[in-house]
Formats: sequence, C-alpha cells, structure tokens
Amino acid sequence: MSIPSWVIVQGIINGLSYGLLALGLVLVYRTNRILNFAQGQLGVVAAVFMVHCYYDFHFNYLFCLVIALALAGAVGAACELLLRRLFNRPRVLVMVATIGLSQVLFVLTALPFIRPKKLYKPFPVPIHLTFSIGTYQFTSGEVLTLIVAPIVAIALAAFIKYSPWGLAMRAMSENADSARLSGVWVRRASTLAWILAGVLSAFTAILNSPSQTTSLTDVLSPDLLLLALTAALIGAMVNLTVAFVAGIGVGVVYEILVANLSSTASQQLVLFLLLIAVLLVRVGALQKGSRLEARSTWLEGAVAVRRTGDRLRDRVGLIGVVTTTVIVILLPLVVGVGQSFLLGQICLYAVIALSLTILTGWAGQVSLGQFGLVAVGALMANHLGGSVPLILLMPFAGVVTAVVAVLIGLPALRVRGLYLAVTTLAFALFMEQTVLATPCFNLPLVHRALCTGLTSPASTLINRPTFLGLGLDSERVFAWFSLGVLIVSILVVRLWRDRGVLRRLVSVRDNEAAAAALGIPIVRTKLLAFALSGFMAGYAGVCVAFGLERFETTTFDPSFSVLVISMVVIGGLGSIPGAVLGAVYLVGLPAIFGTTPTISFLTSGLGLLAFILYLPGGLAQVLHRIGDLVTDGVRWLQRRRAPPDGTAGTGPDADEGPTPALARSGEEALGVTG
Amino acid sequence: MSGQRGPARLEVEGLVVDFGGLRAVDDVSLVAEPGEIVGLIGPNGSGKTTTLDAVSGLVSPDAGSVRLDGEELVDYLPEERASVGLVRSFQDCRLFPELAVEDVLLLAEDAKRPVGVVSTTFQLPWARRSEREKHRAVDRVIAAFGLEPFRRHNTSQLSTGTRRVVDLASIVLAEPRLLLLDEPTAGIAQRESEAFIPLLRRIREVADTTILLVEHDVPLVFDLCSKVVVMEVGSVVSSGTPDEVSRDPRALAAYLGASEEALAVSGPIRAATSSVPDDEPATRGE
Repeated sequence: MSIPSWVIVQGIINGLSYGLLALGLVLVYRTNRILNFAQGQLGVVAAVFMVHCYYDFHFNYLFCLVIALALAGAVGAACELLLRRLFNRPRVLVMVATIGLSQVLFVLTALPFIRPKKLYKPFPVPIHLTFSIGTYQFTSGEVLTLIVAPIVAIALAAFIKYSPWGLAMRAMSENADSARLSGVWVRRASTLAWILAGVLSAFTAILNSPSQTTSLTDVLSPDLLLLALTAALIGAMVNLTVAFVAGIGVGVVYEILVANLSSTASQQLVLFLLLIAVLLVRVGALQKGSRLEARSTWLEGAVAVRRTGDRLRDRVGLIGVVTTTVIVILLPLVVGVGQSFLLGQICLYAVIALSLTILTGWAGQVSLGQFGLVAVGALMANHLGGSVPLILLMPFAGVVTAVVAVLIGLPALRVRGLYLAVTTLAFALFMEQTVLATPCFNLPLVHRALCTGLTSPASTLINRPTFLGLGLDSERVFAWFSLGVLIVSILVVRLWRDRGVLRRLVSVRDNEAAAAALGIPIVRTKLLAFALSGFMAGYAGVCVAFGLERFETTTFDPSFSVLVISMVVIGGLGSIPGAVLGAVYLVGLPAIFGTTPTISFLTSGLGLLAFILYLPGGLAQVLHRIGDLVTDGVRWLQRRRAPPDGTAGTGPDADEGPTPALARSGEEALGVTG
Repeated sequence: MSGQRGPARLEVEGLVVDFGGLRAVDDVSLVAEPGEIVGLIGPNGSGKTTTLDAVSGLVSPDAGSVRLDGEELVDYLPEERASVGLVRSFQDCRLFPELAVEDVLLLAEDAKRPVGVVSTTFQLPWARRSEREKHRAVDRVIAAFGLEPFRRHNTSQLSTGTRRVVDLASIVLAEPRLLLLDEPTAGIAQRESEAFIPLLRRIREVADTTILLVEHDVPLVFDLCSKVVVMEVGSVVSSGTPDEVSRDPRALAAYLGASEEALAVSGPIRAATSSVPDDEPATRGE
C-alpha cells in the first residue's frame, strides 16, 4: 500500500464535496427527520443553469454564480413546500417522496431554458491557478474547491451558531413540539434548512463539475450520495461538524482505495464494508437521535386490509378478480410474441413489487436495493440453472436471498429509523459493481478462485430450463409460467396477510414500544419482513434471469429498485392488488410510450409524487372505488327488479347483512371523524 | 416464556435515570408484594412514568436494579421482560392505529404462542390449531369486555375510552405476573374513570397479577391500592398504606397539598362505583 501525498490532497478535494453534501443531509434530517435522497439533485438544476448563463448569455462568472445559488435555494424551498403537505405522514413516505423529487429534478435539467446549448463545454471556472505535487497537476477547478468549500462550511457554522435562525433550527432539531410552543416558527426553520440544503448541493455540483469529464446531468450519481450519506451517518445525522470532517475523511479513504486497488469492484466492496461498520459503531448515537421518528400516522394511504363485511361487495370483487385472471390467462393466445414477453415481465415485476409491499407497506421500511436481491436470484440461475431443476432452484434461491437480506438488514434494522434504505443502496451498488462485475474473486489465503459473479459481465447468456417437463422456450409458455408464479405469490402473501404475519409487522411499524411491551420481538420482526421480502425477490430473480435469457450488470441497476418503490406507492402502499397495478402501470405504460429516461422518470418520479400527494391510496384505491360503484349499481338493479314488497331473507339485499348498519351505528356512537 | 405463573414480586432498588444533565429518577426503591396493587403518585415531572419506563425496559437506567421474583431484569430487552410476565400499558394508549381491535388482541396471543412463518406459509396443522386457539381466546375476551361492536374497527377510529378498554383486554390476554399501568384514566372523563375502578379490580382477579399503577386521580389510587408511593422530583418522599400516606406531612406537601377536598371526593366515588355496571366499559372519551 502506497499513499503518495497527491492522493491525500486529491482525497481532501473530493472529500470537501462529500462534506458539503453531508451538511445538507444533516440539516434536512435535523429539521424534518428524513433522509433526503434528493440532496444530490437539489443543486444540479442550478449548476446546469449556471453553464447556460455563462456560455449562452455571456454574463460574468460571479453574476451567474449568484443567480445559480438563488435558483438552488428556490428549488430547495419549493421542495420543502411540496413535502410540507406530508408533515403528518409516515417518514418512509416522505423519504420515498424525496426519491421522486430527485427524478423530477433530473428531468428539469433537460428543459430548454435551463440546459446549455452546447453540452460538452468545460464547466466554467473563475480562476486560473494550478499547482502540482510530484508529477500530478491540480486543475483550477480543484484549487477553487480547496478555497471555497471550507469558506462555505465555516460560513454555515457561523450562521447556525450566531444567527437567530440558526438557533431556531437547533431548537427544532432538539424537539419540534416544544420549539413550536416556545414560539419558534417551525415551518420557517424547516424552509430555511431546505434552502441551505439546496445552496450546499449547488456548491457541490458547481465545485465538483469542472473535474468531471461526464456530461453535466450525470454529476451527482448515487455513488456520490452514498459517500455523503456515510459521512452524515458518522455524524449520527445530527452533528454538522463531524459530518463535514467525516466527508473529508471519506474522500481521502476513497482516493487511497482508488490509488491502490485496481478495480472499482474492490473499491465498492471496501466502501460497503465501511458503511456497515459506521452503522455498527454509531448505533447508540443514531438511536438517540431517532426518538421522535415514530410520531406519524400510517392510516392515510397505507391500507393493507380493507374490511367491508359486505357480502355483495366481496362477490363483486371476486368476480372482478376471476374475470381479470381468465382474460390474462387467455391473453398470450391472441397477442404476439413481443406482448407475451411483456406480459411475463409485468408479472415478474409484480412479484418483486409484492416483495416490497411486505417490507414497505407492512413493515414500514424501504429497500433501495431490491434489485440487488433480484440479482442474487439471477446469479443462482446463472450458476445452478443448468444443473438444478427449476422447481427446486426457485425456493433455494429464495432462501439464499433471504439469508443475504438478513445479513445486510441486521446492522440497519437494529437501529430505530430508516437506515435500511442506506445499507440497501450501498448493497445495490456493491452487487452491481463488485459481485456481478467480477466473474471470479481470487481468495488471497487459500489461493482459490471464488466464482460468484456473472460468468460474462458484459453479456451473460443462459438457456431456459424446463419446468416439471414443460419447455419454457416459447414466450407464450413463459408468460403463463410467470403468471403462475405471480398467482402463487399473491396467494402466499394473502396467507401472510390473513394468518398473523401482517399484524406482527404492522404492530412494530405503528408503535414499537407498545409492540415490545406485548412481547413482540422488534428487531426479529423487522428482519422477518426483510427476509420474506428477500425470499420473494430471490425466486423472482431466477425467473427474471430466465425470462431475459441475456443479461448484464446494468440489468440490475439500482434505478430499477427505485422503479419498484414507485410501483408499490403508485399502486397503493400495503395493498396486494396495488402492487400488481403498479407493475402494470410502470412496466406497461413505458412499453407503450417508449422507454427514454425522461419518460420513465416522468412516469415513475412525477407519478410517485402525484400519488403520494393527491391519491395516497394509490391505484388500489381507484380500483376499490370502482368496485364500490359497481356494487351500488348491482344493488340498484336488484332493487328495481325485485317486487316492492320484496321479502327479506330471500332477496340479495339480505346479503348486506347487519354488519354495515352495525358498523355505521357503532361509528356514530363513537363519534368517529373519518 | 417462563413456566412460572401467578403474581410476581417486584423489587426496585436504587434506580437512577439520567436524561443528559437532568436526573429524572434519583435512587428510587420500591417493593410490590405478589398480588398487591401499588399506586405511584406525584406531581407532573416527578419521574413516575420514567420509573415505569425503566422497569419495563424502554429506558435503560444508569444505576440500580429491577428484580422480578428475584430475577434481575436490567439487561433484558422490553420484549424479553414481556415474556417473563411483565406487561405495561401506555399513557397515550395509541395502540396500533392501523390494526383492528381483533388484531391487537391476537397480537397479545402471538407473543405467548409464537408460530413460525414457515408453518404459517404451509398452514401446518399446529399453525392452524394455534391460530384457531388464539381466535377462541380473543373471542372470549371480546365478549367479556363488550368489544363485539368494535371487533373490526381500526384502533385509530376508537374513542380514547374504548381504546383503553382494548388495552386492558389485551393485558388480560397477555397474562401478566406484574402489570404496569400508566395513567389508565388519562384522557377520559371523570364519570368514566369511576367505571375503571371495578374494571381494574376485576383485572387483578382475572389476571391474577401484581399491579404497579401510576395515576393522577388520587381518590382512585387511595381506593384501589393497598400501598401508595409518593414521588417528587425523581425521589420517593413517602410510602405506606393509603392511610399512612394521607397523614404523612411530606406527602401532603409534595403532592396532595391542600387536598383535604381531593381526599374528601373519594367518599362519594366509592359509593358511586358499586352501582356502575361492569359490562359497559365501551365508554365515550373526552
């Protein structure tokens, strides 16, 4: 291991960017108690606009900088305004909303009045100062970072320490309720935090961009966000100074890794382990900071079980489900090969969405690495597909993936809060860039090769096996097979819902303390949720691999995990039909309208936000309404057909039973307010 | 799950809880003999709830010991304490907003008779039998507490009073050996809180448990408890039988204050409670 001094300096320069991002993350976490996954994107719109301003409008650098920072602050404030509507909703949902925000912000950079005319001009830098250490020359952009980033950090620290606004923000992070009672304007403090977060993000983008060779919109990747998150976690999500310094530290560590480890694969491995270690070490501090997190209601939006007690309504639902199933089974007979393939894909995506329904809808945790788990299943198909019969391979892959899920879930789920989102994001990147991309690891001590990756990372080909003697080669048959997998999955998830698994998961989500007081083991229940989720993702992964037949590392890109989250939210969090509807919406629609990133970000990102804000019950709620309407229609028809003195007991009206009436009167007696 | 049954003896010794610089509980010791109802009273912020939190494991004490029948509990997680028979209610009584009353009660059974997810998935005989038995036990309790009309209501739809009844019902199902009640009458009207006295008595009989009760309603405590502990700014200032405490000048100064009248109220209440029907607990809150 060699550490030349220029590597350290390079690390410090990069680390300053991570530090600035981490500061933004901590600010938002302290005031809103959410991990802001849009932190990286908040300032990108401004940075892109700055290039536009500098090259196309020919204004001077300083003027453009001021405009850009103001724009970034405005973007931050706008985001806060949007998320404010979710103040009393579960923190998970707000966090998911920030993911949607980041996608929408990405789309904004493509707007003509923001995007510069020529994309590949170098990012403007106001100074021409370079220096070199040894043979390595530092560019003006890097010198600029070295000068500006510390000034920004110190200015922020002074602002928080000495201004009345800073005091308000500190008070709010201690205890929002009592801060409000003592006259702190909580909303303004929150807005201010977001404005600052936007400005910090813009600084990161503006300082970081000159050294990047990639196109502008790609400056802030999930990798960068993950490094910043690691730094923020070291600061226990509340300590600004520690987070900033940790950002620099993470930058140095990363550069040392880059200098010494040849492959990105091993770099990602070390970073993944670093993040896990941080979580393990900081568990106490994080626990203390998250005491307020549980205070939110899940009711609006998340409806796992609907209780009607209306037999006619149930019958309408059943008829609807049966009819749909029959139509979908017959579908491959009439549509072409392409559509059959699409149908199979939708079914498998629906299974993956179901896996997230359990985790997010029921247990209230978010996984940003669900496709990492799918990839584990795909690897099993890659390596064992030829030798193990599919009927055994699927449950086996499920069990292996469940074990993986428990291992990555354990460090995060021990802590109260939503840190699973962070570890799973790290896991997703680690799977894509390390495990999948490395056909064989050379184990250092035993001098053996461990071949766990894709046999050929750029393009792996596998043959579809038979399923109990049934050849799956035709797309039509594979569509039926996928449909069968989906139906079985739905039945199993329904079983978990109705026979005691759901209530345990929901109890821990809704009220950890009360669940523990009843003797429900908290950590084990959360792990159970992730294990079940992993199990489903695992066997779905086997099917996905066989469905595609040809796949590569980017097949399991983390962005697909975000897509699955969008599915369950758009479909209706916690709802089983919702997961299926979400898959139809997000896989079906782009297939019809084309699959450019803009379209898919619009359908998933904007759709995500729109549903969270305006239709929290998702598509499942719409479906339920339709069912209600149909039921009312049927009842009306029956009443018209029945004789006016229609005797009770024989007519279908008797099906209505005493339950709804009783429920209604019961609600009246209780003074229920909806 | 411990095999022991019957009410347990609670022994708290030298309990200290610090919140940052603030000493919320300072060297608190108390004993509850098996089957006894011990009342813990004191002004707001005197550390009553924190003491309960420390006994039930939600906060970890900085010093002291909590023993149940001689078994040291300080290093146990809350759910482990629950499994040795230590059950508590919460002041806010939020329960689980999205769960139906029936599910809340089934949860209490789940903890007693856990069934693995694999058995559930394959609907193995014992999983089905266990689920049936749980439903039967829950049905009995629902009938006993008059909760039938609310069986399928989400707990968030219930009034505070009804939620408290659900809470008590789940406590009965949990078969506690030591029950910690944190202001069971908070948030419900005086008239309904009177109905709680016979209910609580019945719970002690049915559940056969020791009870540690935190309560602001002094007459209720004096009526119900065989021993009363008075706390002020984190310390115990007085303890003994209700009669002893009501004569203790320190207790009077700390909490009862000019409570000649407050104590006098307990007379009519005692008279009133006997006439309150036990089978109408689903009272409307606020």
